[in-house]
Amino acid sequence: MTMTTYTSTLPADEIVATLATQKLNRRGFLKFSANGLALAFALPMIGRSDDANAAITTQDLANAYIHISPNGTITLAFGGAEMGQGSMSGLAQILAEELMVDWTQISVAQALANPVISYTTGGSSAVSRRYTTLRTAGAAARELLVAAAMQETGDSNRDNFKADNAKIVYLPDTEIWWEYGELASAAAGMTLPADLRLTNPANFRLIGKPLPRVDIPAKVDGSAKFGIDIWFPGMVFAAIKHCPTIGGTLKSMPAKPSGAIAVVACTASNTRGSVIAGSKNAVAVVASNTWLASRLAKKMSVSWSLPVSTANVDSAQILTYAQGQLGSGVALIAEPLPPAGYTPQSFAPVIEADVAKAIGTPTLDATYTVPYLAHATMEVLNCTVSIVYSGTTPVSCEIWAPTQSATAVATNAALLTQLPASAITVHTTFLGGGLGRKIEQDYIWQAIEVAMAVRKPVKLTWMREEDFGHDQYRPLALTRVKAKLAGGKIQAWSYRTVSQSITAQRGRLKAGSIDSQAIEGAIHLPYELGNYLVEWVPLDTGVPVGYWRSVGASINSFAVESMMDELAKTAAIDPFTFRYNHLKSEDARALATLQAADLLSSSWRKQLPAGHAWGVAISQAFGTWVCEVVEISQPAVGSLRVHRVDCVVDCGTVINPASVEAQMQGSILHGLNATLWGEAVFKAGIATKLNFNSNRVMRVSEMPTVRVHIIPSTNPPSGIGEPGVPPLAPALANAYARLSGIRIRKLPFFANATMGGI
Amino acid sequence: MISLNVNNQNYSVEVDPATPLLWVLRDILGLTGTKYGCGIEVCGACTVMIDGQREHSCVFDVSSAAGKKVVTIEGLSVDASHPAQQAWIKHQVPQCGYCQPGMIMACASAMKAGHYGNEILSEMKHICICGTYSRIKDAVREL
Repeated sequence: MTMTTYTSTLPADEIVATLATQKLNRRGFLKFSANGLALAFALPMIGRSDDANAAITTQDLANAYIHISPNGTITLAFGGAEMGQGSMSGLAQILAEELMVDWTQISVAQALANPVISYTTGGSSAVSRRYTTLRTAGAAARELLVAAAMQETGDSNRDNFKADNAKIVYLPDTEIWWEYGELASAAAGMTLPADLRLTNPANFRLIGKPLPRVDIPAKVDGSAKFGIDIWFPGMVFAAIKHCPTIGGTLKSMPAKPSGAIAVVACTASNTRGSVIAGSKNAVAVVASNTWLASRLAKKMSVSWSLPVSTANVDSAQILTYAQGQLGSGVALIAEPLPPAGYTPQSFAPVIEADVAKAIGTPTLDATYTVPYLAHATMEVLNCTVSIVYSGTTPVSCEIWAPTQSATAVATNAALLTQLPASAITVHTTFLGGGLGRKIEQDYIWQAIEVAMAVRKPVKLTWMREEDFGHDQYRPLALTRVKAKLAGGKIQAWSYRTVSQSITAQRGRLKAGSIDSQAIEGAIHLPYELGNYLVEWVPLDTGVPVGYWRSVGASINSFAVESMMDELAKTAAIDPFTFRYNHLKSEDARALATLQAADLLSSSWRKQLPAGHAWGVAISQAFGTWVCEVVEISQPAVGSLRVHRVDCVVDCGTVINPASVEAQMQGSILHGLNATLWGEAVFKAGIATKLNFNSNRVMRVSEMPTVRVHIIPSTNPPSGIGEPGVPPLAPALANAYARLSGIRIRKLPFFANATMGGI
Repeated sequence: MISLNVNNQNYSVEVDPATPLLWVLRDILGLTGTKYGCGIEVCGACTVMIDGQREHSCVFDVSSAAGKKVVTIEGLSVDASHPAQQAWIKHQVPQCGYCQPGMIMACASAMKAGHYGNEILSEMKHICICGTYSRIKDAVREL
């Protein structure tokens, strides 16, 4: 099988340096001659994971470029993170379409990441929000090549030229044609025409096709380099040992154990490099291999200072506290928006009274609970740092990291080493899973500190126990929903959720304002809910929280879609019909998604074997609608078998349907693991479930049959990495309620659930 | 000095004999295709073949591998031509790809033992977090 290739080096690294200094023109391009044609442009920077309210911003400096060399090599420099979601391939696919080249004629290079060219990967945005920019860039490069051909022939009629299969053909005499490489250098001197002749989507050759991914060949023969695979002779290896108690700090520096090269105290870095002033919360043991370092670290006795507050980081206590807040905490109103003259605070009592009156005695009043969750990326956190010194002064710093934010890595390296940006090189490696955890900077910061202390190239690794025990966990949340039904219709709906704000813990949430991530999945619902309100009560605990695949939607969709099902049952109406009856007329995409799932699953739902049951849930996240229908059975008490999941997705224009399918399959597994078993537990400040023997996850033989149906669409593309996660938990709980009559409102399902196999 | 044969190449390493083979492969020989995932023989990312048998290299003492033939993902084939690797490409199995060397080595050793389809799948207790199980099933069932 031939396919486009992934290369680890750029054809012309000097391009990146040029990009750092030159501004884009007003049309958003910068073209220059660099052994052929280099066309630089700015992919939108996405702040979704940095800041709850950030919008897409464009910038006047380039962060991506296409390079066409005189020998015809076409390369897209990729400044993001490939962590399995396929964005490296998806971006190349869009570019190849407009550039009029075949899929085998384009290469993707991981850009030498630096503050200029790299961007944060998060928010299911990598491909979807860069679609238009990449199409435009591909078309611009193509039109520059055409302009070069026009100059060569002296014919200024654009219609006489056709770009096809990496050639420009002169139509009046098709014997006259040029390979792109032959025109590349001349194209760099051409003026960009006004009309870039974007391809009519009806004529797409590549967009919408299940093209093979560029990174897969390297991932079946062991040659793909993840961060943890960076290796060169002479490097040393470090293992981290955190204070086991969250919030504890180093009391005294332990002696270097025999066999170790060094012991280094590491700074407690709250997320993204914001440091708890001056404190150290970990030590790194450096040795000649990772296993030795980790063994010495494990055996080393370290004295820690434990503030009294660390005892409060305790699952039982936090649950009690959250229950109190659910009852009496001060709420902020997320929906409806406060009318003129009101603040979210002053509006709260007014709308609360109004909705309480409409509800009267609620038909249903239920509280849903979801736990803290660890990320557990297969590749544990790690980072390799090499600093060159002149005497005692650092001269340059090179970092290899599996990171979702190379920009933050470079910033932290500059902060710690005091080197200028030009002396810092950051390589983004493949990520063995990111899932939101590898946006954080704690492990990067530690590795730089260790490299500065030992003055040798060093790779720092977190053993799995450290990875589970010192995560930035998906927040716990309690949600109380009260609803009034009359005549089979919801008359009033009160939704009150208590959860920790990731943004607030990082000091970036304005006091008194709502964390939009805490309420995603609870607002902009597709349903008519009568008199309703959605309110959020912030919860402040010492558990470090972070972005977990689908963020707030994974929390709120469980409550919303479980309650919809409970109401349908109370009204004795079919769950699909009940949802149809409540869909707002303007939510055509929700309706179409639900109908497609209804149709896809109808034949098997009608012929369910005895002892089997189904459940459905739908949700929207990152602009994408996903509906999942699951079939389960319970072979024995305490066990569960998930037989199948039918999944319908509307993500707008599809770039690569095979990637959409893979992301839905992956999201479903992610949802199953979280729903059935996922839970981070804390006792007196210490995380208790530290490896895969106590964190049960599904195995291949237990995986249900997954069918993915993609709704054809000409809408702009929307995200696919995360939106498949939220509907799984409620769909499973709804199926279980149908099967057993037992409504599960607290996740995980049953901690010791066993699964049926093949 | 411990003498090792990895992918038909001889090596001598000076290391604590209790060091797990995984870390000798990765940190001393620079053969990084074999992955660390849990260190307690649960996840399967570290799977290699030792004298044709599937083993968790994270708990296999390097001294016990002396005199035996170790095959890692790098040595399974010279050109990704092993049927399991080809099936993995055809079905576009990997997402992040981190667990796949272990998965492929487990599959290859089960094939070597004469196993097929669901039999192989039942033996693969490996952990994948991305959710490539659906495609692994497709790939294994056609081998």
